[in-house]
Amino acid sequence: MLQEKYLAKLRELPEPVRQFGGLVTITVIVILSFAILNIFWGGGDELVRKMKLEEERIAKEKELSKLISSLPSGILVPYEGTKGHKLSEEQHEAVCNATEIVSQRSVMGANLTNFKAKHIYTINGNDIKETFVKWDKEKNKCFAGFTVTGSNVGVNETITVTGEVLSFFNTGIDTRVYFIKNF
Amino acid sequence: MELLKKYPKLFQWLFLLFVFLALCFAIDVPETYKFIRGQAEFVKDPNQSTYTLFGKEVRYYAFDVLWRLPPLLGWLPIWINDFLFFLLNEWMPMEFWNEDTQEYKTRPLVLQITRNITASMTFLIELIREILLGGVKTVVSFTSWDWIDKNPWAELPGLPWTIVVAGGAILGYKLSGKGLAIFAGLVLIYISVFGQWKPSMQTLSFILVAAPLSFIFGLTLGIMAYKSKRVEKALYPILLVMQTMPQYAVLTPAMVLFGIGDHSAVIITMVVAIPPMILLTLLGLRAVPSEVIEAGKMSGCNNFQLMTKVLIPTARRDILIGVNQVIMVCFSMAVIAAFIGAKGLGWNLLLALNQLNIGLALEAGLCISLIAILLDKMSLAWANKQEDYFGNLTFFQRYKNSLFFAASVLIGIILAYAGSFFFKDSFNYLSEIPHNKGISFADFWNRGVDWIWDTFFQTLKIFNTWLITEVLQPMRALYLRMPAVATLVLVVGAGYIIGGIRSAFTVGGLALFIALSPWWDRALVTTYMATFGVVASCIIGSIVGTLCQQNKYTTNFMLGVCDIFQTFPSFVYLIPVMMLFGITDTSVLIAVIVYATIPATRYTIEGLRSVPPALHDAATMSGVTKLQRLFKIEFPLAFPHMMLGLNQTIVFALFMVIIGAFIGTEDLGQYILKALSDKKGAGKGLVLGICVAFIGLIFDNLIRTWVEKRKKHLGID
Repeated sequence: MLQEKYLAKLRELPEPVRQFGGLVTITVIVILSFAILNIFWGGGDELVRKMKLEEERIAKEKELSKLISSLPSGILVPYEGTKGHKLSEEQHEAVCNATEIVSQRSVMGANLTNFKAKHIYTINGNDIKETFVKWDKEKNKCFAGFTVTGSNVGVNETITVTGEVLSFFNTGIDTRVYFIKNF
Repeated sequence: MELLKKYPKLFQWLFLLFVFLALCFAIDVPETYKFIRGQAEFVKDPNQSTYTLFGKEVRYYAFDVLWRLPPLLGWLPIWINDFLFFLLNEWMPMEFWNEDTQEYKTRPLVLQITRNITASMTFLIELIREILLGGVKTVVSFTSWDWIDKNPWAELPGLPWTIVVAGGAILGYKLSGKGLAIFAGLVLIYISVFGQWKPSMQTLSFILVAAPLSFIFGLTLGIMAYKSKRVEKALYPILLVMQTMPQYAVLTPAMVLFGIGDHSAVIITMVVAIPPMILLTLLGLRAVPSEVIEAGKMSGCNNFQLMTKVLIPTARRDILIGVNQVIMVCFSMAVIAAFIGAKGLGWNLLLALNQLNIGLALEAGLCISLIAILLDKMSLAWANKQEDYFGNLTFFQRYKNSLFFAASVLIGIILAYAGSFFFKDSFNYLSEIPHNKGISFADFWNRGVDWIWDTFFQTLKIFNTWLITEVLQPMRALYLRMPAVATLVLVVGAGYIIGGIRSAFTVGGLALFIALSPWWDRALVTTYMATFGVVASCIIGSIVGTLCQQNKYTTNFMLGVCDIFQTFPSFVYLIPVMMLFGITDTSVLIAVIVYATIPATRYTIEGLRSVPPALHDAATMSGVTKLQRLFKIEFPLAFPHMMLGLNQTIVFALFMVIIGAFIGTEDLGQYILKALSDKKGAGKGLVLGICVAFIGLIFDNLIRTWVEKRKKHLGID
């Protein structure tokens, strides 16, 4: 009864007022729908945090790529010698942090002084499980290594080979570990 | 309150604008927002949010929903791809007899059907191509390669160009007299002499398959829709979407179903050409006066007789205009179909544009345009031609055209035969002028382009830089700055003010679809480019149209120019702008402006022409000046008609913006183009096409509703 009374009152309103009311209602409905959706689907602070991390990563990558492009292509070494470009201490650390690839050449070289690793590497089809390159702050040196896993005469074995990186190779796009001294 | 009652619409618009701007200012751009940052790329990134719907995982960058809605329809393209894959590879495997291996082979039903359609289309195209250009494949398909080796006489020789020229001229004469005959002759001679004969005939061969098939299907569906409300209702949404759907978007699903090549081009062309045929058939049949139908019924016609003897002949003109539209659409598809391997002029044009050889592109483009104009004139002449049923003609008068054609075939064969002796050691120029042996002005045009660049480089660069940095970039930023909620409020509100709650729901639904797709940002860029083009086109079109309308001769001249420009395939517009502005956004926008100015000008002229002359006289007698008459009487009355022109202008602008992706824009078109080279691009291409179509439909709905109301208000309709 009360509803009918209000509806009748609404119907009695002049057409322009009713139309304006309709517009206001429809606008409010759209905004409210978005607000409700926001509760379920909004990105929130978590996304901002993630994105900031991503921004930092991209910025770091850019800096490193700037460094790489400033160095000559070819072999880079942290010591004075006849072969390769000598890296300063800062450059050495930066290059170490920028390097992600451990080249096959350095893996095979390191395996020469680790018979067991070489054996597992060979019988399992030159498969390398994992590689890593990291800067040791205490020793001020760059270390790299790799893990070989596989069956050795029916027994599953895992060996990690680590050593100091004594040279890098700069391709102009990235830097790679060129020589691991593991003896 | 009194003011609200006096100017209700004004207050509504002001309120809407206020809410829109308030939302724009209140909602900040999220820190993490960067334009189209992987949102639509489906790239894997640990920072992305994910959801799974219908078994499909969708990754996206989540923002505040008020700013950008999550792509809740992101599963749709993936689902379409999977559905197509399922249809083609897994659904209903059946055993089919293989003629080559002489054994049964299991194949999914849809794959078998598509392969059969592909084979039939290829056969038809090759047949026509070999009648026009010669070849052996058709004969081989009935015999074998060994047989044709033993019987080289059976090879189809191909029609000498002289016969086609004579045939074209005679047909032109029969349809419209000397003028069209001379034009047809000159066009065909130009094509031969400039060495474009082979590609032209290749293009013509697939059009000669696509156009009749489109006509048959379009006519049949049109008749079915006329007969049954259910069919009409089922067809209506498809027709509506197809009207505003960019042709590019149809390429990808068709490519998945039918592969690439001429056969696929024919199928896509049909998909695009059938809707206008259906619409015009329906329009023509609906316009048949009820008295004529009654007369037919009273004469004892059954349903079939009524349709074939009364309705179709009475609606002949509209149906033939449908044929004209089909031919035009086929030509506009000639270049677009080249993207999926259709041979011919389109392919050459695309190759030339790809190499930035503007001269060659211009020659191929000119050829396509000339053939399109010729076929347009011929089909229109056919539509307007009245049969003389009562003429008391002699045998020669009645069959003179056929006799002349027979004579020209004879002469053509003799000339080609003589040519084989005359040009013994080289090409028989009297039979066919090879593609690279004709006259070519490509070098001249290329040098012209170089000269333009050398002479006006600085000026063009300054203009380019100014337009991009001062106008386009700020405008783009403005569009991208709109929060999703503000845009939705604006669209829904506009729909409500113009057409009430129904219109608000329609346009709101269409906008919501785009907002929930993964390409909202791209859609905003598409809209910004189209808006810029539309505004510029409307200003130019209305000024040019108004000025031309002041004089009978200039009106006819301008309408003629619009007719000719309208027949050019849209790709052709890119050639001159690339000559002037290179590969930039400016080129695309200028092409958009030129292309979209055509309907703007045409509808301005026709709108002003639709004002009753009696009102002119009344105004003149009331002592108003010419300007007063124009602004106070003619424009207000012509405005609804001009708004329909705006509708067309928007559709034209959207089409051109999408085609502009070919020379590098950052809108939906670019993604449609990318989808073409993506193995799983069918779903993406289709959904992107629907997004573009929906942008067009939003404007279409708003404008049409407004026009209808305005016409009712003015008592015009």
